[in-house]
Amino acid sequence: MAVNHGAGEEPEDELLPCGQSLMELWEDPAGPRVPPAGHPEECPHCAAALAELHALEEFVTRSRASEAAAPRRELSVSTVMDIVRMELRPGRTLPLGEPDEDAWIVEAAAAKVFRAAVDALPEVTAGSCRIAPVGAGGRHPAGRGPVRVRIEVVAGMTWTVPRLAEAVRDAVARAAGERLGLEVLAVDVVVMDLVEPAGGNGRTPW
Amino acid sequence: MSGHSLDRHDDALLAVRAGEGDEDAFEVLVRRHGPVLLRLAEQLLGGPAEAEDAVQEALVSAWRRLPEFRGEAAFGSWMYRIVTNRCLNVLRARRPLTPLEAVAEPAAPEPQASPERAAETGAAVHALRDALGGLSPEQRACWVLREFHDLSYEDIARAVGISPQAVRGRIFRARRALTEAMAAWR
Repeated sequence: MAVNHGAGEEPEDELLPCGQSLMELWEDPAGPRVPPAGHPEECPHCAAALAELHALEEFVTRSRASEAAAPRRELSVSTVMDIVRMELRPGRTLPLGEPDEDAWIVEAAAAKVFRAAVDALPEVTAGSCRIAPVGAGGRHPAGRGPVRVRIEVVAGMTWTVPRLAEAVRDAVARAAGERLGLEVLAVDVVVMDLVEPAGGNGRTPW
Repeated sequence: MSGHSLDRHDDALLAVRAGEGDEDAFEVLVRRHGPVLLRLAEQLLGGPAEAEDAVQEALVSAWRRLPEFRGEAAFGSWMYRIVTNRCLNVLRARRPLTPLEAVAEPAAPEPQASPERAAETGAAVHALRDALGGLSPEQRACWVLREFHDLSYEDIARAVGISPQAVRGRIFRARRALTEAMAAWR
């Protein structure tokens, strides 16, 4: 079979001597085709071309098997995570303590504490957690004042939405007071899903 | 966090948390997807050292871009795209011009190897790997994603950044070149 080396790499089909498109034949070897008019049912050209493809597939199968049997090399997770942990995305800076104090916490750190508190509830997992100062009120010095928390959760079917929302609010409020000293004015709980335990992929969402 | 393990969560939730700066969530994603991405990079680049670099860089790049990741694609597909793209750049830099003629050179058995040795699976597998080196970067990427990762034409198109029709053409040209290169081994 002659190969047409085109100028570029444009896909070029090839026609077998019997008129069958090789691209079509190889794309779906077992599939239905519309052979050219007068094409013999038992065509030696098509058979030879399919044998070539099957031989290649055989090499691929062997190659996959040998890869699967080879000792698996592990990615160095620590190399990646060392870089990642140095490139923190802290988010906004939020005020801690009293209005006349000068203590702050970054959003990512506060979110970590809130997510951990929510994750500790049975069959509950936190997703997105955003924290922002409430308005630019005149009562507080620049940038200081209470915050509003918006947290997304997924939970098991044993929860009802009102009970879940209340438990999440309590957990966030308690963590804000006991662990951070962050003044939280409101907690918006967004229930993303209530799910059955053990999904099809064997992963439960909490 | 009594017994609470992030390992059990699905990718979408972990990606959201990672996007907001949760490194622990990102680490779970790295452990989960790292091995298959490393295998992909090895198949595309042909060597383990460069492959590891490419995957590490792709993951760090993903971490930086996660805040903009809106979950319009699955995290796994998104990583396939980033790793494929990085490997394509490496391949293009390595060989700015890829004469198609180079493809037809069959990877002959090593001179000192006996015919029996040459007939072994291991040698044929090496020959296939060598033949892959003769493909253009895009042909190689399309073919590897199809034959070794079972991606659909649409998914390959997204990973490589070309149309599904172009994917069809690249895979055909790759098969055409590989059947020729491997003819000596049949």
